Amino acid sequence: MMERLDVFRALADSRTDEIVVMTMTATLQWPLVSDHPLDFDFLAFGMGHASDFGMGLALARPERKVIVLKGDGGLLMSLGSLVTLAQYGPENLIVLLLENRTYEMVGGQPLPARADFVALANGAGIHGGGATGNGKVERIADLKTFQSELPRLLDEPGPHFVVMPVLNTYELPAVHHSDHAGRIRRLRDALAVGEPGATTKE
Amino acid sequence: MIADPAPIADRAAFGASARRTIDEIVRLGFTHVIAIPDSESRLLCEAAAAHERLSYLTPCREGEGIAIAAGLWVGGAKPLLVIQNTGLMEAGDALRGCGIGPRVPLQMLIGWRGYAGASQGKQPVDSAYPYTEPILDAWQIPYEHLMSNDDIGVIASMDEQANRTSKPAAVITGWKFQP
Repeated sequence: MMERLDVFRALADSRTDEIVVMTMTATLQWPLVSDHPLDFDFLAFGMGHASDFGMGLALARPERKVIVLKGDGGLLMSLGSLVTLAQYGPENLIVLLLENRTYEMVGGQPLPARADFVALANGAGIHGGGATGNGKVERIADLKTFQSELPRLLDEPGPHFVVMPVLNTYELPAVHHSDHAGRIRRLRDALAVGEPGATTKE
Repeated sequence: MIADPAPIADRAAFGASARRTIDEIVRLGFTHVIAIPDSESRLLCEAAAAHERLSYLTPCREGEGIAIAAGLWVGGAKPLLVIQNTGLMEAGDALRGCGIGPRVPLQMLIGWRGYAGASQGKQPVDSAYPYTEPILDAWQIPYEHLMSNDDIGVIASMDEQANRTSKPAAVITGWKFQP
């Protein structure tokens, strides 16, 4: 079990030009360690769909890694996305599943206790799957291992689906919903995206 | 309470050509077709999957597809969703969160399950048909109808409107696509 903020600090220390998409309580703590134009706060964009959004981004921008920070409660809200990830997930997508076994954002209600997220991801076909067959599923349960494996995760073709048991002992900052249209356009600007419809399949 | 639908004799037609519809989609510069196939859109989906200039994805549910489409748009691609009215209803939170709220110009071809029977004066088998247009109206999503090859221009209208307003827009397809 890892302290979530320590996980974020380690990731922020190693992150360079990757897009980081975060949702739910990760949106409250990631800004404590990172202020980057390629950070994207997905809160209130659709429950359970942060990794789907991240996959779309990764498909559109194959030259750039996309890291998604989402919780296990969110995964349960769109469990089929594991199968979609296994079918189409591109090599540049990394999903870090922050497993805290609760719906933390809405009060800490417990998740169904018997769900095994590594088994679910494997059952969906992610390991050995994805668009090019390089998909990997793993569980990283301690900070030292995460720090040592992070360079590989950031470099190695994926998609990567990493289950990370975490807890949080810090007081969470207040939720701050604002300017969703501006938020999404700032990310487009940071990616130097022009007017809609400018790209075609190679 | 949604009223029982009246017969729609003036919209009667026999469905648009899948090939011609895909040609129009490609002409308009769409890069990805994200579809949850149904019996009405089968031929359109097959044509999209086979087209060398389109990437074709079939997620498990419509909400997933909407979020994938939003990510594609942010990354500079131009996605088109092909879903059924029932899936639209399932995907309300994703459409609100990824499209309407942040003003992402998501574009959707929506299969109108129940239209064919209703257009012949039959009572719909379920509530999917009568709720479709009121739901789009409630979400302030503009739409037009694609019923035959004569209507294929509505796809360009949807594209223009979505990009001009930077909001979602839709085309409702009432009949099964033809070859």
